[in-house]
Amino acid sequence: MEVKKDILWRVYLIYFFMCLFGVAIIYKIFIIQFSEGEELRAQAERFSTRFFDIEAVRGNIYDANGSLLATSLPYFEVGMDVNTEAISEELFKDNVDSLSVCLSTLFKDKSYKDYRKLLVKARRSGDRWVVLHRDVSYTDLQKMKKFPILRRGKNRGGFVYLQTNKRERPFQFLAARTIGKVNENGTGKSYGLEVAFDSVLQGKSGQRWMQKIAGNVWRPINDDNEIDPEDGDDIVSTIDINVQDVAENSLMNSLKKHGADHGCLVLMEIKTGEVKAIANLKRTKDSTYVENLNYAVGAATVPGSTFKLPSLVAVMEDHNVSLDEIVDIGNGVCYYSNERVADSHPPVKSKITVQEVFELSSNVGVTKIISRYYSKKPQQYIDRLYKMNLNEPLNIPIPGEGKPYIKDTKDKTWSKISLQWISYGYETRITPLQILNFYAAIANDGKMMRPMFIKEVMNRGKSVRVFKPEVINPAICSKATVVKARKMMEGVVTNGTAKSLRAADYLIAGKTGTAQMGIVNGKMTYQASFVGYFPADNPKYACIVVVSAPSGDSYYGGSVAGPVFKDVADKVYSTSLEIHKEINHTQPKYALTAPKVKCGYQEEIESVLTTLKVKNQTNDENSEWVSAISSDSVSVSLSSKFPEETLKKGIVPNLFGMTARDVLYLLENNGMRVQLIGSGAVASQSITAGTPFVKGSKIVLQLI
Amino acid sequence: MNLLKYIKGDKVIWTVVLLLSLLSILVVYSSVVALAYRYKNGDTSYYLTKHIFIVSSGICLMYLIHKIKYTYFSRISQIAVILAAPLLLYTLFKGVSSGDASRWLPIPGTSLTFQTSDFAKLALIAYVARILSIKQDVIKDFKQGFLPVITPIVIICALIFPANFSTAALLFLTCLVLMFVGRMNAKHLWLLIGSGVIFIAFLVMIVWNFPDAIPRGRTWKARIENFSKGDSESNFQAEQAKIAIARGIVPQGPGNSISRNFLPQASSDFIFAILIEEWGIITAIIIIFLYVVLLFRGVRIANNSERTFGSLLAIGLTFSLVFQAMINMAVAVNLFPVTGQPLPLISMGGTSIWFTSISLGIILSVSRETEVKMEGGEFATT
Repeated sequence: MEVKKDILWRVYLIYFFMCLFGVAIIYKIFIIQFSEGEELRAQAERFSTRFFDIEAVRGNIYDANGSLLATSLPYFEVGMDVNTEAISEELFKDNVDSLSVCLSTLFKDKSYKDYRKLLVKARRSGDRWVVLHRDVSYTDLQKMKKFPILRRGKNRGGFVYLQTNKRERPFQFLAARTIGKVNENGTGKSYGLEVAFDSVLQGKSGQRWMQKIAGNVWRPINDDNEIDPEDGDDIVSTIDINVQDVAENSLMNSLKKHGADHGCLVLMEIKTGEVKAIANLKRTKDSTYVENLNYAVGAATVPGSTFKLPSLVAVMEDHNVSLDEIVDIGNGVCYYSNERVADSHPPVKSKITVQEVFELSSNVGVTKIISRYYSKKPQQYIDRLYKMNLNEPLNIPIPGEGKPYIKDTKDKTWSKISLQWISYGYETRITPLQILNFYAAIANDGKMMRPMFIKEVMNRGKSVRVFKPEVINPAICSKATVVKARKMMEGVVTNGTAKSLRAADYLIAGKTGTAQMGIVNGKMTYQASFVGYFPADNPKYACIVVVSAPSGDSYYGGSVAGPVFKDVADKVYSTSLEIHKEINHTQPKYALTAPKVKCGYQEEIESVLTTLKVKNQTNDENSEWVSAISSDSVSVSLSSKFPEETLKKGIVPNLFGMTARDVLYLLENNGMRVQLIGSGAVASQSITAGTPFVKGSKIVLQLI
Repeated sequence: MNLLKYIKGDKVIWTVVLLLSLLSILVVYSSVVALAYRYKNGDTSYYLTKHIFIVSSGICLMYLIHKIKYTYFSRISQIAVILAAPLLLYTLFKGVSSGDASRWLPIPGTSLTFQTSDFAKLALIAYVARILSIKQDVIKDFKQGFLPVITPIVIICALIFPANFSTAALLFLTCLVLMFVGRMNAKHLWLLIGSGVIFIAFLVMIVWNFPDAIPRGRTWKARIENFSKGDSESNFQAEQAKIAIARGIVPQGPGNSISRNFLPQASSDFIFAILIEEWGIITAIIIIFLYVVLLFRGVRIANNSERTFGSLLAIGLTFSLVFQAMINMAVAVNLFPVTGQPLPLISMGGTSIWFTSISLGIILSVSRETEVKMEGGEFATT
């Protein structure tokens, strides 16, 4: 055991030393934390870093023709590392003045002295980062890259900038609510296509490693991003900004004229369901109108008379009612269970056809037909409406669609008069877009499409995804019913409540609506609407206009909403060449007025005049150069006398009005040297007309 | 607990190892952020999964090794030490470089590499323990006792030395301690220390005047210079480690270290600093305490071991491990110049964790043997 004992004391000695080592380490930790701690922690502040997200550039939203509806513009926060080793004292001193001047002239926010003070102070105090300007646009950034010192770049000039993106809508309020907005910082509401396609548009953010420096300013550590952002895809919407412009302005004028509370308009292509324009305007406190709520998509309200079409289509489908069936509307007033139904205007005659009921929008007429066929089994009527998808939302991508409400007979609120009230558009709620979609389906031979807002997703100009038109219901009713329904709607414009919409070149078909919205401030408020399609013989577009709570005396759909419809329809019709008929088949042989002709090359002048069908004659077929000696209102006479003849005699002619090309050719060929100033046609000449000249003399011509 | 039945050996060591491994996983996870961003697109879970795998497989390895009768290691050490020399030589010329040091060898058939010095360290300690225990009777003699022990030590340390000065020095010191414990003649030990000091002095002189004469001369020179000058600008790592420790006065909480972004070796060499920053000084003291406990258990095992080889093996291995830990922590708190030693059982690192596990397995094997003996009543307490 001697050996063992000898070993043991040695082991314990070693053990003791190791414990001592441990204590020494703990002691050192205390020293660092307490006696040196203060200063070290101050340094830690200097070294704190974080990964920052770098926003990916959000995709653009384009209109159908490639105009930008929403885009992200880059802005830069520009700073400078004034104390980088690459900037010598000499360089700084030599350039600080000119740099300050450049900054001051570019941004105009501070005097050059202030900029100079900022830079010099930062240089003195050893700051590594001075913010020169926030919110610098891309073009200004390019200018800054040429500034003294900064033009040396990041490493040699300490020029550092950080990009942030701002969302802009180049067309400002046009379709603003539908294009929408995403609130990046999580406050306020997000809406519209921006939200619906947020995942496509937003892209993937990258990351950058930043270091905290004085105050709460962060500065990038490395030149490159740690993770590069992936930019978002672009989306191409169906909206046509030109039509949108007309729609929005026309609607606004109407709202202003009628002092309405709000209004909306949607224009849709019938075959595809593409929404070409969508406008929503609401009166603000200071009586201007802004896009602040998507009424067309979101507001399910009482439709009023525009709902008479679904009612009559239902009865035609279920009971094959003909347009000639007679309805007795009496004196325009009738009662159901003591509830009064009245027409807005007393009738001219009491026995009218179904066609006339619709054309004149007779409330009594519609309730009578519906009662005639459905009073025994009202659920059949409701079922028919359901079959035509009127009780379903359209499931469009834009969030916040209003749900339609059409009650059935099991509903608790179903009453004895519900059938009649629903039949002319009460006790029911539906959004403008949904009612429009029904009309568009009728115009589309019964095929109901889903309204489209987006055509395509693109990435750097390449198509990523194409959206195809979607069919909601291939046939909401029979072809025979479609024919009848369209005849009724055409009748509304030709004979009925919307005669003001008759246009010369094409026919509009549709239905007016004037719904009572309830009593506000002791006065009945109305919602005037017009929904229809055009051209009636070959429907291309469907459109709805809703004007809510017009304050004047005029509140009927035909007179308030109708004109807006016509404005938009006119614009669309005039710009859609494919739906045009040629207007003038015959043309006059000659133009009715002759233009003023300047002197020039005969062959070309003749060619122009002939093409324009202007009568012309000349006194010298062989002369290259001619001037118009007389032009009455219908014909032009050309003469060779002037100016070539004059030149040949060695006399400077009057060159006024000649083009540079002609004058150069003519004068140089005749031995003069020509100097031209400016561009356009000759306005003055250095040698006055009629003066003799020698070959080789110089003439200066001022062109404007 | 059925499972516990299979686990033999010192339960305290098992507990210490499990505690440190658990802590290791937590600290490594938060310290790899910078690495993860540099190589894995910010995916820290890659490193976490990898580390958990290595740590748990290390524990399995430890379990397997501790089942082996420790006397076998005496014989294995002979082969191992003979194998170590050519391996080290091969590594020096053909190994995988990290920085300008060639320290790693690929393990055939895998994508893993291992540090040959880890292997050599283990082999040498076991071998020295073996020779010392065999030569106990003639240990005070120069020719018969001193020379057979010192020869393999010098050869192995000399082969590790060019690529990895600190490991060589550490190993040499461990062997010195082992020789001291193994009752080597004090005169011979002083002689050894004396020649060691002269050698270092000579080396420093060469490095100072001709830094390019030796492959890693420049690195060494810079490190020593920085430490002696205490220049905060140039000794960035040490300064960052101190900042981390200073911030730990109020523990920042797991995952909230800032210095990890600046410390290039946050998950291995400077993990102790990150640990203090995130978990505070109390945790640091607990860790030091755990290492001290580990050493104490090693001492106890040595004490209880029937054979001298067992005692020396247990002492040599625990001391080596704890000493390395102390050195690492001393570097982190700026008590020592920057070396490059990981903190055993805590630092992230591939195969070197497995060598630590093997060491611990051997220590446990020794303790298992003594337990068996004690239960059998054959061995009375000293």
